[in-house]
Amino acid sequence: MTDINLIPEPEESLPSLSVSNDQGILQWISSVDHKQIGIMYLWLSVLFLVVAGIEILLVRLQLAIPNNHFLAPEVYNQLFTMHGTTMIFFVAMPAIFGFTTYFVPLMIGANDMAFPRLNAFSFWTTFFGGSLLYFSFIAGGAPDAGWFNYAPLNEYNYSSSPGIDYYCAGLLFAGIGTLTASVNFIVTILYYRVPSMSLKQLPLFVWMILINSFLVLAAFPSLNAALAMLLLDRQLHAHFFSTTGGGSAILWQHLFWLFGHPEVYIVILPIFGIFSEVFPVFSRKPIFGYGMVVGSGIAIALLAFGVWVHHMFATGLGNTVNGFFAASSLLIGVPTGVKIFNWLATMHGGSIRFSVSMLFAIAFLIEFTIGGLSGISFAIVPIDWQLTDTYYVVAHLHFVFIGGTLFGLLSGLFYWFPKMSGRVPDQRLSKWFFWLFVAGFNITFLVQHALGAMGMPRRVYTYPDLPGWGILNLISTIGAFLMAGAVGLLIYILIIALRKGALATPDPWDANTLEWTTTSPPGLKNFDRVIPVKSTRPFRDYKRPADADWKANATDPTTTKPDPHGK
Amino acid sequence: MIKLVVGTEAMFFLALIMAYIYFSLLPGFSPQQADHLDIRSTAIFSAFLFSSSFTFWRAETNFKKGKMTRLKGWLLLTLVLGVIFLVGQGKEYARLLRENVSIGSSLFGTSFFTLTGFHGLHVFAGLVVISIITALTFMGDYDRSTSSVFGTVGIYWHFVDAVWLFVFLIVYVLPHLHKITC
Amino acid sequence: MTGQLFLNINPSSIFDAASPQASGIRHLTIEFIIAASAILILVVILTSFISIKYRSKYPQEDPKQITGNRTLEMWMVGVPLVLVILFFFRSLATMNAVLPDRGNHTPDIIITGHQWFWEAVYPGTTVSTANEIHLPVGKKLLMQLNAADVIHDWWVPALGGKMDMIPSMNNYLWVTIDWPGIYEGACSEFCGQQHAWMRIRVVAQSPGDYALWLRREAAGAHVPQDTLARAGAVLFQESTCSSCHRVKGTTAAGMTGPDLTHFGSRQTILTGMMANDSAGVSRWLTDPQQVKPGAHMPRFIFAKDSIRALTAYLEQLK
Repeated sequence: MTDINLIPEPEESLPSLSVSNDQGILQWISSVDHKQIGIMYLWLSVLFLVVAGIEILLVRLQLAIPNNHFLAPEVYNQLFTMHGTTMIFFVAMPAIFGFTTYFVPLMIGANDMAFPRLNAFSFWTTFFGGSLLYFSFIAGGAPDAGWFNYAPLNEYNYSSSPGIDYYCAGLLFAGIGTLTASVNFIVTILYYRVPSMSLKQLPLFVWMILINSFLVLAAFPSLNAALAMLLLDRQLHAHFFSTTGGGSAILWQHLFWLFGHPEVYIVILPIFGIFSEVFPVFSRKPIFGYGMVVGSGIAIALLAFGVWVHHMFATGLGNTVNGFFAASSLLIGVPTGVKIFNWLATMHGGSIRFSVSMLFAIAFLIEFTIGGLSGISFAIVPIDWQLTDTYYVVAHLHFVFIGGTLFGLLSGLFYWFPKMSGRVPDQRLSKWFFWLFVAGFNITFLVQHALGAMGMPRRVYTYPDLPGWGILNLISTIGAFLMAGAVGLLIYILIIALRKGALATPDPWDANTLEWTTTSPPGLKNFDRVIPVKSTRPFRDYKRPADADWKANATDPTTTKPDPHGK
Repeated sequence: MIKLVVGTEAMFFLALIMAYIYFSLLPGFSPQQADHLDIRSTAIFSAFLFSSSFTFWRAETNFKKGKMTRLKGWLLLTLVLGVIFLVGQGKEYARLLRENVSIGSSLFGTSFFTLTGFHGLHVFAGLVVISIITALTFMGDYDRSTSSVFGTVGIYWHFVDAVWLFVFLIVYVLPHLHKITC
Repeated sequence: MTGQLFLNINPSSIFDAASPQASGIRHLTIEFIIAASAILILVVILTSFISIKYRSKYPQEDPKQITGNRTLEMWMVGVPLVLVILFFFRSLATMNAVLPDRGNHTPDIIITGHQWFWEAVYPGTTVSTANEIHLPVGKKLLMQLNAADVIHDWWVPALGGKMDMIPSMNNYLWVTIDWPGIYEGACSEFCGQQHAWMRIRVVAQSPGDYALWLRREAAGAHVPQDTLARAGAVLFQESTCSSCHRVKGTTAAGMTGPDLTHFGSRQTILTGMMANDSAGVSRWLTDPQQVKPGAHMPRFIFAKDSIRALTAYLEQLK
């Protein structure tokens, strides 16, 4: 369908990342170019990262010592609720969508997304949703019932401040943005590929986005239904979740987690995609088991809908129900574990370059394994009965969200920053950032596993002076400030790079996929012509025609290639 | 593309329908359902909605054959039938409210108004879109028949009708059968 | 995590099992920790080894471009699958041992979670108390768990797993406490502003001591002997305390707040927030919102003498 010209192709080059005098902010606000929209998504994500980070620093200050009075409980409860809600919906999702909308068209040889105006709509709707959520602070109070907002605490008789209404409305808008973006991604990937690229040659990042987008379309409606029902309960006194009216508190949990569990895969599958680009490039080898990576991604997406009750093992649903979901939850760990070994096998026998992007990828392997294993412990129901709703869960979720999602986003950032901005960030400072962030992260969250096992529940604004609780919480708080310092350093690194970083070449990493064939940054029109695509690494084939992947695949797809240097 | 939108909206209605079914199994629900719902009048205005799917399909086929006058006729007929459905739904709502069944009155009221209400909203949105393409047709925008608009809108419109089929079965027909067999 | 605290509290980690339920879970937990550590160590070793061994030595040359290996892929799927299946069956076994079906058993205690205190009723007796939960050791007890407002959760790590308390639902936990002592826990489902101060205090007693306690609890409230306490008793009735609190044997029969019949014999107040002494009670009565902000007890503007009288009255309700 690349011969359909619905939008005339402009010829001027794209304004660079910084807002230059003659283009101005109006050009950005009205842009329908996928690259500019991608950049706006990323800046939105950075803004909310700082906000949600400040929220949690305040929380950690309150928790640094037992019986603290730094924050009143009503403030504390708003802060931790907003921290969780913001990080998931307004940091992780926009960052992922930012990279997606920037790079998916480039990686498939397209000049823009299928629906550029819808793309802009998706971004601005997300932005509006976030603004609406934060407006609650000055409109009577932010939501304060936790990011998963259980019933009946979320009902009007237990939470009379309008915060929860803003939560519902803000997330509904953001949800619409997410859904429309996913529709856009699917159509773009299926119909706007350069004709020579078959699905079997799709870069793995693009594959993961394709699978992920279907997951979004299937999962978000459950959240939307729950939010709509809650708004009806709160505003029109309907009875969905209020037990006094005959409603069901546990219905909220079912609807929420039917969304909530797929949501965690929604924020990790694209990350698996990013790592499946980063590992091959920096190991100079193809991904080990392309088919397995795709297959396990599909398996995870399908299984994602069969595990939600593992968030409800302590709600008394009975051992038969618990047993079924224990089985499915244990099972879903397998495809994820497979991927870790795929990436290790990709590195094995390779020639590894330790760029900052690769450092985050390698760290991810260990951090995400920790997070994954603590997750599996919850699938073992009796262990869940002890550890659910404790700081052990907080530790687990941060190991997968930070050690997984955020490390992936940082890896992608350092990988793709030269392409997006045309500048190279300072390598020495970037490595400092890496070590400082990893140290801070582990200091903050490793101790929380112990705190949970020692009996500390989550979402408490303070705690008694029990042995070990104070010191471990203090250590965790110190780690949090280290992380904050690291993030400050990151923002400094990015701004310096944009202002006066060294100029980047089109292909600084000697990479494999189509986005590296354009200039850094790409012109407004991505491609005039696209190099031939005959394998999953078209650019590498172009640069090394003697050792091209498609030549190897023509004979036997799984044998090793004869080494051109005769070793 | 529209199939993806339909898919995601189907999941949304699935959630609402499942909540409805779950609540319908609780005590106190079915007597309310039996007392207040009138399957006969609802069946009549539902018939109007279902036939609007037929008229839209005729509109699509005439568009493909380039018969613009017939296209315009069938489109207008679709609009009329859709509006009659909404009016019928509105009258049913008015009657229920007079009988003190509202979204806050009981579990039945809550789930009934929510499920049928969201469906009605989707019908309304569909009618707005059909009005727009009807107006554009009258203005001559589709005189050269290469647009995919009618096919796309058609899929959405048929989906809305299909949802109503399910809702009608679950909310009206099944309880009615239950009532006359028990 | 060793040693006794000043109030003879057993440490509250999941490894300090004081019931067969908790030890059953502990066994499974340790099995898991061993398996998980093995996997983690494997990943750490592989990652470190591979990173070091295959670091780039010849920047311009490409290594062998291996794309897959069916045998290795089989192992990568097979081994985790086997482990997962093993743990599933161990899981089922422990689940059924810890939380078997309740059958026709009547509960030995019914605990209702309120914002932010625990109400305890002992079926078969007239005992109804709050916050300090006494239970006999050595007997397999069935606990029924309910909620009066929002979702709460009962969790005492040393005694076993947790269970949500959901309004309009009856949930159940089995527990057999091995030896006497005080077991601390906490509400484990966010229930609003003072979720943090909804601590659990289980006092497990020998059957003899427990029977004694039940008899004392079943009795009506202690009649105040000294003038200060008697003045406090009068104030208690006049100041509408009785509209929320119950003191058995008097006309105070309110059900909104905790039962205060034997308030004086509890070791802590405000659901585990502080020790039960005059200073604490006075502070609370002076301004509840200062002590436990958000609590549903309104601020009564009492004169200092009234507070002394009320405190004296409450403290002698043993």
